[in-house]
Amino acid sequence: MGRRLADLFQGHPRLTVAALLAAPIGWLVIGYLGSLAVMLAASFWHLNELSGEVTQGFSLDNFDTIFSDEVYRTITFRTIGVAAAVTVTDAILAFPIAFYMAKLAKPRMQSVLVVAVLLPLWSSYLVKVGAWRLMLSEDGAINWALSPFGLHGPGYGTVAVWLVMSYIWLPYMIIPIYAGLQRIPDSLLSASEDLGAKPAKTFRKVIMPLTFPAIVAGSIFTFSLTLGDYITPANVGNKQFIGNVVYSNFVANLPLAAAITVIPIVVMVIYLLIARRFGAFEHV
Amino acid sequence: MLLQLHQSRESRGATTSSPSTPRSPADQTSVPDVRLTGLTRRYGDFTAVDSIDLDVRQGEFFTMLGPSGSGKTTTLKMIAGFEQPDAGKVELGGQDVSGLAPYARSVNTVFQDYALFPHMTVSANIEYGLSIAKIPKSDRAERRTEALRMVRLEGHGDRKPNELSGGQRQRVALARAIVNRPRVLLLDEPLGALDLKLREQMQVELKQIQSEVGITFIYVTHDQDEALTMSDRIAVFNEGRIEQLSSPRDLYEHPANEFVAGFVGVSNAIERDGKKLTIRPEKIRLIGEGDPTDGLVTERGEITESAYVGMVTRVKVELEQGGAVQVALQNTESEAEPGGRVGQKVVVGWRPEHAVSIQQGERTQSVQLEEENVS
Amino acid sequence: MSYANRHPARFAWLLVLAMVGVLAVAGCGGSSDSNSDEVTSIGQTEGALNLIAWAGYAEDGSTDKTVDWVTPFEKQTQCKVNTKTASTSDEMVKLMRTGQYDGVSASGDASVRLIEGGDVSPIDMSILSNYADINPSLKDQDYNSKDGQNYGMPHGWGANVLLYNKDAVQPAPDSWGSVFDPAMASKYSGKITAPDNPIYIADAAVYLEATQPDLGITDPYELDEDQFNAAVDLLKQQNKFIGEYWPDATKNISSYTNGDSVIGSSWQYQTSALQAAGENVDADLPKEGSTGWSDTWMLSSQAEHPNCMLEWMNWMGSPKVQAQVAEWFGEAPANLGACDLTSDPNHCDTYHAKDEKYYDQIAFWKTPISDCGDDRGSVCMTYDQWVQAWTEIKG
Repeated sequence: MGRRLADLFQGHPRLTVAALLAAPIGWLVIGYLGSLAVMLAASFWHLNELSGEVTQGFSLDNFDTIFSDEVYRTITFRTIGVAAAVTVTDAILAFPIAFYMAKLAKPRMQSVLVVAVLLPLWSSYLVKVGAWRLMLSEDGAINWALSPFGLHGPGYGTVAVWLVMSYIWLPYMIIPIYAGLQRIPDSLLSASEDLGAKPAKTFRKVIMPLTFPAIVAGSIFTFSLTLGDYITPANVGNKQFIGNVVYSNFVANLPLAAAITVIPIVVMVIYLLIARRFGAFEHV
Repeated sequence: MLLQLHQSRESRGATTSSPSTPRSPADQTSVPDVRLTGLTRRYGDFTAVDSIDLDVRQGEFFTMLGPSGSGKTTTLKMIAGFEQPDAGKVELGGQDVSGLAPYARSVNTVFQDYALFPHMTVSANIEYGLSIAKIPKSDRAERRTEALRMVRLEGHGDRKPNELSGGQRQRVALARAIVNRPRVLLLDEPLGALDLKLREQMQVELKQIQSEVGITFIYVTHDQDEALTMSDRIAVFNEGRIEQLSSPRDLYEHPANEFVAGFVGVSNAIERDGKKLTIRPEKIRLIGEGDPTDGLVTERGEITESAYVGMVTRVKVELEQGGAVQVALQNTESEAEPGGRVGQKVVVGWRPEHAVSIQQGERTQSVQLEEENVS
Repeated sequence: MSYANRHPARFAWLLVLAMVGVLAVAGCGGSSDSNSDEVTSIGQTEGALNLIAWAGYAEDGSTDKTVDWVTPFEKQTQCKVNTKTASTSDEMVKLMRTGQYDGVSASGDASVRLIEGGDVSPIDMSILSNYADINPSLKDQDYNSKDGQNYGMPHGWGANVLLYNKDAVQPAPDSWGSVFDPAMASKYSGKITAPDNPIYIADAAVYLEATQPDLGITDPYELDEDQFNAAVDLLKQQNKFIGEYWPDATKNISSYTNGDSVIGSSWQYQTSALQAAGENVDADLPKEGSTGWSDTWMLSSQAEHPNCMLEWMNWMGSPKVQAQVAEWFGEAPANLGACDLTSDPNHCDTYHAKDEKYYDQIAFWKTPISDCGDDRGSVCMTYDQWVQAWTEIKG
């Protein structure tokens, strides 16, 4: 029997591929696309006003609310703005670290650094946000450190959200850039230098263009993670982000929450299209 | 005095020796393109390059030959500026460049892996150095076209490196380097990744291009055939030192020591009367009944191995006086079945001048001391 | 590769769209039926009980060894208790609707939704022996009864108080104006705090009820459009002075400890915790009155272990357990018999358990619905509108 099965696959490579992919694709369709479909469908439902229970049936009320109510636009732009700021900050912070790891550190140091970069990801996200909440508080470490200079920390607010998100998502930027830099053979840098380019020029003409896809890959992480987060704004912010509105409506008004969730999805689709236009996926 | 010193250095180790390499008249008057003095590079306890002195003449095709880890690539990198010497200095055209960064040296390198910029077209790759040197656009295009013609890649300018074959990439790398008209072109095993046929073809092309542009080439390889085919002079590297520096012919015919003899070509080392001798396989013949043996050294022996390799048959002969030699027998058309059956008793013979006496030890330190006494 | 040219992404989108279409139009699964059959007796217990509760409402000694009223209950009834702690009313409603729980300690803003949704069962309270001793003020309220039917055992109550740092806020505030009136609130700009909860709109309504009688607010949870907009505007104005909308009691406490907040709406629980930790804070009930919460243990209409739940309700209504939970959580007990059993003899006084006047000043949380409950008819703003407005207020 097994023999016959083997013979069957032998002559039919497509059948083999289909058999191998059936389980993961099935999972993808049911678990991933299915849940996405349910969520999108839910965005057309509405609430029974007495019981607060979800009533199924087609209606565009939720999208009408989102488009007509200015607060959702404000929140969307705020969220995108912070996501962009976090992405740029992380790219600027991550590049030198990743460059040191990939090109300058000795192999031993390299593995130590990779672990060091990944280490914060092993601890709970909530613990890290909690720690930042303490540091940013009125009597916290940041104000204490700044007070000798007559300065005052940002306190809780959008600036604090930007700081904390930049910190928390930084590894997601470092690792792709590190991997991207590692894929650049050292000989390319030598060749550029050999052809007369000073380090700054080599950086601009060789390293940057070759690392760009990796930076975009990292930015997809930092951007989308910031876009969806609600815990950091709830802890160190005083303004709402898309995630907070989804969260606060998730129980009270699931259809509206589902409709709001469409916003980051659309934003990400646009972001990915722009990234593709810049050739971010060409060398992947 | 200086000249004399260099001369003695060049023939270092070749004590039995040999007419010295003929020199071009230009060399006497001009400064060498590259001069290394006491050049040393250490990695921890390991000395990769051990106090090397070397002159490379203008317009010369100079090869650094040696096994991996012999220090040849490290030396090349110190000339290019990618490695800094721990001691000694590098001079280019009489100017000390030891402390300068690679971008400040008028040398260009063809890398072993070609190191073409994958995000740029062939043309952009070739113009890279020119654009950095702020050469005007029109001149750039002209020189790029010329370089592409030289490496026979006309019409490939708009391709990306990953659309080219290995040999084509190799040519682009060459064009990218020579288009800058450097004083010296450094080539780090540039043909290592190509298959045999292509490699042989490229050897010829490289040599042609070199004579066309007249740039000094310093070529690193571990392939003795390649070195012998292309070079004006060859420096044989071993354990961070130069074992011998001479013309390909001298190197082959008169190896300075056992290492060189063994590394360059097949070596038959035998000991006779307390002296170590080496004879190339093609210099030995099998002597049949009644063959004249005038002026030949002859010995008896027995064939223990025989291998047909096309143009020749290689046989191994155990000699009665001790030792064994490899003999290359031409498979000429006249012989229906060439000699060389295993077990056959034979007489081998060679001309006495082809049995080259060589140094016993591989270390050249003592040789060097002797030399210093001489000079 | 030729497979790549078939645009699997496009295919996936089509698939999603097809699914969306089917689900949006046809829906999936019916809604639960309302169950108005009153429970009139307690039968044999089922050996297990699954609860949804506020933190501190069902202590089994795991937080503090001496605080345990679950273990004795388990011994007495043989009902093994599993407690799921919820942190918001919204979460409680969500959990109840999974049908996996037997009962819940619902606050007023959740209980109306549960009753209206048929998620909980009405009970003939005479079958629970301790119900007779419950504070009459807590019986037959909007948030625990409907159409003359009762939906559970009152648990206890508390007011939302004005908590302030005595060093930073002087003289002691006696009005919500300290946080709502721009003239006063601007003094504490950036250090005012408020609960991150849509029901906080009612607090603004309480303040407007006292300060702007023209609006004619009679019940802060039954707001018509004008009244509602006035409250929302007040809160939007307040927003610029707010340092933080506190998401839970722990964070509220840490904000006062770290100096990030100096004044705002809070609970007696936080006040006691901060005072116990040596912080120089105090709280009072402002002259305008306040909102508050009154919780009720309710029985799920889909309960697997209804008899264990009924036993639990009665247990929680007993004077001894009432004394324990009221002291542990920091609230006024529903059973006044508990006042003689608390370890702190002044507990009931501290929490004004018997203070009718204090009690009358409190508008207890209930879910806002369209029926205004008076002759205005069904023109009041519903809870989902409150939630949306809350989003706008926070900006």
